[in-house]
Amino acid sequence: MSRALNRRLKSWPGWALITAALVVVFAVAASADRGPLDEGDRIDAISRRIACPVCDGESVFESRNPASEGIRAAVVTAVEEGRLDDDGIIAAVADAYGAQVLLVPRTDGLDALAWALPVAAGVIAVFGLAVAFRRWRDAALLDGPVSDDDRRLVARRRERTDASSGDDSDA
Amino acid sequence: MLAVGVTAALGSAGLLVMLVGGAVGALATGVAIVGGDQRTLRRGNVYAWVILGGAVLATVMMQIALFRRDYSIAYIQEVGSSATPLLYNIAAMWSALEGSILLWLLVLAGFTAAVSARFRRRSADPLVGWAMVVLYTVVTFFALLGFGPASPFASGATVPVGFDGPGPNPLLQNHILTLFHPPILYLGYVGFTVPFAFAIAALITGRVGEGWLLETRRWALFSWGFLTIGILLGGWWAYEVLSWGGVWGWDPVENASLLPWLTGTAYIHSVLVQQRRGMLRVWNLSLLVATFSLTILGTFLTRSGVISSVHAFSAGSVGGYLLGFFAVVVVVSLALIAWRGDLLRAPGAIDSPVSREGAFLANNVVFTLFAFVVLLGTVFPLLIEAVQDRQTVVGAPYFDRLSMPIGLTLLFLMAVAPVLPWRKAAGEVLADRLFWPAWCGVGAGVVSLLVGARGWAPLAAFVLGGFAGGAAGRQIVLATRRQGWRGLVGRANGGMFVHLGVILIAVALAASNAYTHSATLVIDRDTDVEWAGHTFRLIDVVNEIDERVDATRADVLIDGEQVYAPAVTTYLAQGMTVGTPSVHTTFGKDLYLTIDGTNPPDVGADEVAIRVFVKPLILWLWIGGALMAVGTVLAAVPPTRQRRPTDPTSAPVGETIRV
Amino acid sequence: MSEVDLDSDAAPARRRIAPLIVGVVAVVMAAFMWVLVRAEPETGSSAATTLLDRPAPAATGTYGDGRVFELSRRKGSWVVLNFFTSNCIPCQREHPELIAFVDLQRDLGVDGAEFYTIVQHDEPEAVEAFFAENGGDWPVVYDEEYEFQNGFGVAQVPETWIIDPNGIVRGRIISEVTAEFLATSIQRLREPS
Repeated sequence: MSRALNRRLKSWPGWALITAALVVVFAVAASADRGPLDEGDRIDAISRRIACPVCDGESVFESRNPASEGIRAAVVTAVEEGRLDDDGIIAAVADAYGAQVLLVPRTDGLDALAWALPVAAGVIAVFGLAVAFRRWRDAALLDGPVSDDDRRLVARRRERTDASSGDDSDA
Repeated sequence: MLAVGVTAALGSAGLLVMLVGGAVGALATGVAIVGGDQRTLRRGNVYAWVILGGAVLATVMMQIALFRRDYSIAYIQEVGSSATPLLYNIAAMWSALEGSILLWLLVLAGFTAAVSARFRRRSADPLVGWAMVVLYTVVTFFALLGFGPASPFASGATVPVGFDGPGPNPLLQNHILTLFHPPILYLGYVGFTVPFAFAIAALITGRVGEGWLLETRRWALFSWGFLTIGILLGGWWAYEVLSWGGVWGWDPVENASLLPWLTGTAYIHSVLVQQRRGMLRVWNLSLLVATFSLTILGTFLTRSGVISSVHAFSAGSVGGYLLGFFAVVVVVSLALIAWRGDLLRAPGAIDSPVSREGAFLANNVVFTLFAFVVLLGTVFPLLIEAVQDRQTVVGAPYFDRLSMPIGLTLLFLMAVAPVLPWRKAAGEVLADRLFWPAWCGVGAGVVSLLVGARGWAPLAAFVLGGFAGGAAGRQIVLATRRQGWRGLVGRANGGMFVHLGVILIAVALAASNAYTHSATLVIDRDTDVEWAGHTFRLIDVVNEIDERVDATRADVLIDGEQVYAPAVTTYLAQGMTVGTPSVHTTFGKDLYLTIDGTNPPDVGADEVAIRVFVKPLILWLWIGGALMAVGTVLAAVPPTRQRRPTDPTSAPVGETIRV
Repeated sequence: MSEVDLDSDAAPARRRIAPLIVGVVAVVMAAFMWVLVRAEPETGSSAATTLLDRPAPAATGTYGDGRVFELSRRKGSWVVLNFFTSNCIPCQREHPELIAFVDLQRDLGVDGAEFYTIVQHDEPEAVEAFFAENGGDWPVVYDEEYEFQNGFGVAQVPETWIIDPNGIVRGRIISEVTAEFLATSIQRLREPS
């Protein structure tokens, strides 16, 4: 492949092609969805979201405890009846056994903090990064152009790093 | 009877030696540094060796006591049994709290001695001196635990003649990984004490430049590598031993090992920015402090019984001590960072977010966020309990949901970061360097579609995995083309192998989480039951009893070729019944068989209900782990030719050859 | 070591945010410590139930001889359900108390509470052998379809539930009970307050 062709290829036509290919891939993936899950998958998915009430944080899916067997039986019955959706089945179980069988925190009350705090932390982190870059930019403007002092500092540093050992290979 | 008492006495003596050695070492070294007493400082090494001697003595005595089933010791009464096979009997040392503290002490003593040996010519340097003081202090704390509330050599109640203990927890004596996973994990977990010690020493001496960093970089990398392998071995153990067919359950104990790994991973990336640009000093110090305090916090959470966990094989009375130590570590570190804040201010600036250092910074933010989410989910039940006094559980689905976007972001960063130049990147450069990696991503997406992958989230993971893999591959190809075999070693190139390993693991996790299927099949001797493209037929139900276990296994013929034998095993001494899975592994997918229910089937039964999981790509988790280990080793090898840090990154390597 | 003089110079005067960050981190850590200190090692579950003062679930089970037991048809008298497994040690320990309680209720005639054992995850042979050995001649109901377990949310045996003549759940006792406690509880519930 000649150099010029390579360059041409890698500019916008190539990238447009990549974008188009990705759109097609995701469109196919979304349209040819797995269809309705079979009952076994649904039972597994639901029982993964229910905590075994007596066994230290294991889910009903994982646990082999008799209590979990009973709950799994309730899930199987409910799925076969097909009357309730996943959330409804889980709510029914939580109604009998209490909220401590819910493995996913609720979105209301104090439990909502489990969802709100990570989002808040993410927002603060992005905001902090923005502030940091802004300060760096201001500082760079304040420093002005490179002076002879700066060059001397670099030279000194260079000697020192050359004299010490340690790898710093970066391609 | 005399010899019996001697074992426990010598073991306790070993712990006492560590306690005294640590305390005296810390005091003497600290006083000598302050007083400028060079002679004492040069002799400081001796404490490290005394401590190591004490640890080895205590460990040897523990092994002797285990070997001889010395039931005069409470710990042996708890975990010893004449029926335990030799290898599991060795591993019994770390099967409960007291012995785990002993293992911790042994590893810590080893690290202390190694640091002391490595820096013996510089023992008069206050930086090294203070680092030793920190190490000695940590040793003293854990020796205090081992000598006081969690003594592995405490004498037990008098037992009748012929007494035999229950042996270790059954889950800890039916797979060989029990022997390797805890020590390797501890090598990583405890190893982060060393960079932490140097970070504190740098703060105390005020030499917060890059000197201490260079000293401890390899120690951090070493610990990180072992922590990685330890965590993966833990997942492998869970997969092979716990019969629910998963590798990672977001259990508090697992989270406790993941937390320092997350902050440690952030550190080994951001440290590059400091080495290269002298920036992010406070941040790097904070990450090391966080990593070390998270190991202490994790130990507190899992060992004090405040959080229940399936893996909590023991709970003890050490909670208060660990919590107090955690508080001391946090307060001292915060105070030091606040005190040295002015010195820590680094000149220079990160010019552009679209640069290597910008990507590292983004990586750090994401990893820290990840650690925050894991910590929050782990302690959330405590928060609810403290505020509203009610019980809650936060389980795997919560962590799965939140870690998915974080994981995808990390994959994207892994794709882009390796091609970014330092300082600032031009658009064309990026378009040029990312072109083929992007096609790798497209290729991965198309291949996944062809083999039947659906759903946007797993597909996004595969596409980004291909993208990131392409970027790592590009780096390796370019480096080897330029430097020959040396293109495989060094931090950046070795790091790319680690990336490839991580990508394999991420793809395997995404696939196995999204596409696992399971069914309960009732199989018999006459017909082939067909499911998921395989046939299952019962050959026989066999029962085997020895003095230790009563095991009932069902021999299942898969595809008319090979026999697999899931079992239900009752450990007689504990009366505990555990299911043991049997796994048919191929490169594409695993068939994971367990016997359904808790009761063993009747011997010779004509019909057995088995539970079968189809789990794709599980083998690639372990291959990815091996690749990460290899990559870590490659990254630690110093390349013989080096680029000067101040040269532009575009300069060919090796022009300035040094010996 | 010349890092210090190299690095600490020429820092332009900027607004200090470091103390602010350290302060925030310190406050967060203090709150975190408060949570950790307050945390206590796991204790047993509470006897609270969302079913209290609500209609009991309409669960059905089978007697040992195969006849169907329907809880909803027991309205009109006080009903006590004891969830049980023959190999559970606390169940074995509380058994004499249950015998005493049933005797007490029988002495009350028609006002006495009806008593049923609800068997969970157990073989009929083992249950029958247990009753033959330890006494007790009240009806035993097998919860084969898990309707009682899931309806009442009983994860661990033994548990004892009190249901009033209107079919409303009035009490739940987790783990062992005594005859006296059960009898006085029902007596107190009976008296209009």
